[in-house]
Amino acid sequence: MEEFKPTIVSFLCNWCSYTGADLAGTSRMTYAPNIRVIRVMCSGRVDPTFVLTAFNEGADGVLICGCHPGDCHYHEGNYKCLRRYHLLQKYLQQMGIHKDRLRLAWVSASEGKQFAKLADDMTETITALGPCKIKEVMETLT
Amino acid sequence: MEEKRIGVYVCWCGTNIAKMVDVEGVAEEVGKLPDVVVSKNYKYMCSDPGQELIIKDIKEHNLNRVVVSACSPRIHELTFRKALTNAGLNPYMFEMANIREQVSWVHTDRKEATKKAKSLVTAAVARVAWHEALDKRKVDINPASMIIGGGISGLSAALEIADAGKQVYLIEKEARLGGHIADVDLTFPYMVPAAQILGPKIKRAENHPNIEVFKEAVIEEIFGYVGNFNAEIKANGSESRSLEFGNIIVATGLKPFDPSSVDLHGYGKLPNVVTSIEFEKMLQSGKIETRDGKEPKNIAIIHCVGSRNNDYHEYCSRTCCMLGLKYANQIKTALPETHVYEIYADMRSFGKGCEELYDATAKRKVMFLNFDQREGIPQITKANPGDCCEMLIDMKERLSNTQIEVPADMVVLLVGMEAREDAKEVAHHVGVSKCGNDFFIERHPKLDPVATTTDGVYIVGSCQGPKDITDSVAQARAAVARVLAAICQESGEVEVTPAVVNEDICCGCQTCVNVCPYTAISYDEEKNVSVVNEVLCKGCGTCGSACPTGAIRSRHFTDHQILSQIKGLMRTEMQEV
Repeated sequence: MEEFKPTIVSFLCNWCSYTGADLAGTSRMTYAPNIRVIRVMCSGRVDPTFVLTAFNEGADGVLICGCHPGDCHYHEGNYKCLRRYHLLQKYLQQMGIHKDRLRLAWVSASEGKQFAKLADDMTETITALGPCKIKEVMETLT
Repeated sequence: MEEKRIGVYVCWCGTNIAKMVDVEGVAEEVGKLPDVVVSKNYKYMCSDPGQELIIKDIKEHNLNRVVVSACSPRIHELTFRKALTNAGLNPYMFEMANIREQVSWVHTDRKEATKKAKSLVTAAVARVAWHEALDKRKVDINPASMIIGGGISGLSAALEIADAGKQVYLIEKEARLGGHIADVDLTFPYMVPAAQILGPKIKRAENHPNIEVFKEAVIEEIFGYVGNFNAEIKANGSESRSLEFGNIIVATGLKPFDPSSVDLHGYGKLPNVVTSIEFEKMLQSGKIETRDGKEPKNIAIIHCVGSRNNDYHEYCSRTCCMLGLKYANQIKTALPETHVYEIYADMRSFGKGCEELYDATAKRKVMFLNFDQREGIPQITKANPGDCCEMLIDMKERLSNTQIEVPADMVVLLVGMEAREDAKEVAHHVGVSKCGNDFFIERHPKLDPVATTTDGVYIVGSCQGPKDITDSVAQARAAVARVLAAICQESGEVEVTPAVVNEDICCGCQTCVNVCPYTAISYDEEKNVSVVNEVLCKGCGTCGSACPTGAIRSRHFTDHQILSQIKGLMRTEMQEV
């Protein structure tokens, strides 16, 4: 059987986390190639539908990153993201999606190293969980 | 519906991308996607020929959308948007896939990196298909400017703008202008008194009809955007005042490193171990003497205190080497019999006139002793009663490879620069980002070193990174050029993508009104719909994700665009929704 290589869709806010991910690059840090980044202006823009769509399209994990609490470029978008994240976690579990498949983390513009580590940690977690079957389940249902 | 004609350009970035990503393979594969009319790869897309290639293709192939797969959009998104404008296309019909910072520079497996690059470019193609033409908003530029920090950088900027006939609000936290330079005796490398440089500037700034100085000032809040900022300032404990201005120059400077944490140097315990800041005061007073009023026979100057050392700061503070040479010269002039030891890690005399100062200092019988940071820093201890000196410095001299003891009656620690403790607060007020060392981040390290990612906000001097007077003044004047250019234009274009309400779907629940951090959304009772004030909206999109009916669209980050991008990433065929 072919080795399982997870796909992790990641939403990064433009001001902190995306810049942090870029810094990992300019500093030539290396991390697992499983993260696929989508840039949003603020983590507050991450609509729960985006996360659900990612899983529905076959993502094995979803990572949302925003500015640290108190550092949001738009004052408090990250708090709104946090609230939605908690609700979403409950919903995902009811759908049969393991809670570790969705993660929210704070990454500042200076935390390239932390981003690289996060990418590796997340990849490790999702690899251990195995493929997310929700896409197939949904296809059977419809 | 208009036919979508997408051009895709995959950049090699020399070997930066090409060595880890099969750029030709990516271009070929992506060329097979629906709506993609041309798909090319080129050595440097950002170069003039690279941009010309796009412009030519737009005209020849009648492209109406473009994807460039290259570096981070933070670096070159604007460059390519301009190319689109030059070709007569709306600049928002463009999307960038970041395959350098987030692919080729961080991955080591070429196959996996190529796979990821294909996925990101496919996603960008899927997204750009849903892009729509957007107008830039024209805004008036208020000709007044606010400068935060009244040190040498802030003063230089203030005077230059004021001399051009424009109003300046100069905000200083302390009770006096001048910043750290006010505590400096002579400046390197030409030994000009700092007071001679600073004094006239302070005097002129305080009396200039176009400069209003606020001392002991606290910024309570800054609102607005380029051309139209306003702030609440409290100065001298008086009532807060509202100021209106179009541009901001941040010149908040630095904080000297506190060597108390460096145990081996004994600062705070040994009375005659002093910092460069304290030594400057001694020089200003004209008396170099120990705590008990004696003339020191041996003075050691220790370099790189808090700098270039992973236990403290990894970076170089850029000014200490020259400061150390300056001290050696000043000591040799004042006390010709005193022995001077420069205990250094590396001698970095890179500025104009600086290597000459090094050479001249060496000829004045100053002893240069080299140490290796990796093998430990010099240890200072109290000398024994029979010794000829106050203190002994135990160190391994690198060039002779011997363990030696250096006698000293006074030790000067060349303390490095660090970011100020209030950097976070300032960053939040003006909307700039900080690097790992808490210095502010410029828009581009080489091509746009004084601008920030927030339009109308500039960073100058040591708040951006350690700097000497020369570089600080150069940066200040560079920022002034930008500010005056903006003022001359009288109006500017702003990149905003405000949210918009579809009144047909809006149910008037006002969820968006409650989540907006800028009170940009109000409720129209008569129509029972939400209304976005486009001037106040900053385009964060949080209303878009809260709206239960999908009535709010976050322009340029619409549901369609992002959902398509997700689907593109997952390599599913795009379907018209």
